[in-house]
Amino acid sequence: MKNDCAKWNDPLLEAALTGTVPLDLQQHLSACPSCTEEFSALRARRERLDSLLPLVAQSGEPSPEFHARVLAAAEAPGNARRTPPWLAWGLATVAALLVAALITSFALRSRTSPPVPQAELAAAQKLAEWRAPSDIFLQTPGSEMLRSTPKLGVSYLRLPAKTDKEKRP
Amino acid sequence: MDNLMARSDAEERSAGFAARVAENQRRVFHIAYGVLGNWADAEEVSQEAFLHAYRKFSSLREAEKFRAWVNRIAFRLALNRQRGLRRRLVRDSTWHMAGPSDTVDGSSHAEQRVLLERLRNEIEGLPAKLRRVLQLSIVEDMDANDVSLVLGIPAGTVRSRLHAARKFLLEAMK
Repeated sequence: MKNDCAKWNDPLLEAALTGTVPLDLQQHLSACPSCTEEFSALRARRERLDSLLPLVAQSGEPSPEFHARVLAAAEAPGNARRTPPWLAWGLATVAALLVAALITSFALRSRTSPPVPQAELAAAQKLAEWRAPSDIFLQTPGSEMLRSTPKLGVSYLRLPAKTDKEKRP
Repeated sequence: MDNLMARSDAEERSAGFAARVAENQRRVFHIAYGVLGNWADAEEVSQEAFLHAYRKFSSLREAEKFRAWVNRIAFRLALNRQRGLRRRLVRDSTWHMAGPSDTVDGSSHAEQRVLLERLRNEIEGLPAKLRRVLQLSIVEDMDANDVSLVLGIPAGTVRSRLHAARKFLLEAMK
């Protein structure tokens, strides 16, 4: 095909596909051997394409037992009347929403519960500060000393100093 | 009495469904095969499509309704499976592709296998809109109206896309 024939590329393709050759293309073909050759090649290719295309889908066939297998699967107990997925998901969503609503209502209720009476608060405070009488037995003389850290050079034993009168016999 | 009526109803349902499967199984298989190019996957998808149809059979008793519905569901299921298998999709070897009627001599058979494989690759390279129309249109017994019902587009659009797809392939298969 010559360079000046490039404008006929698309009309040639269309003509090969549809089988209809417009008048202007017919005139060009009668005067252009290279385009005539190209047109013949395109038509041959189109015929080959038409014969190959059905094979893309139809070169396989279902197996002879396909029909029986489908019917058996359809009649199987697990297949008929199965809960549709949208219904299962819907039920799951409703359940989740109910749980969330319950949790929220409990949280709100605890937040807005009525105030505790002062008398009850005072009693609770008293109870918290109460110490059993036996606590006194757990204390030792050194407990006070053990609470404070001894420092170097400082005596933490405060023994009363004897006066001169006491020293004399 | 009620039991007898229920049994006859179930039998009628089974018989009706069996008839619909027989009418549609070949086309449904070809729809799936056209997308997947694999016999085992196509058969699984076809079976799945019919099982979906069985569950909805009470609303699909009319032949035309059943046909359109099962075509659509088979195509959708095949596309879903193709997406899932994209990375490990194994097409049947071209030995499988040739049907039993293709008893041509060895050389032309081999040439055809090569061309068919090339054509499949070219179809894979088509834009999705054109590819889907082509994959459905090449199925025997599927006209533009059937394809339009599956894809939900007007029949005129089906024809123009099919023309564009064939033109693309004609140019590509030099």
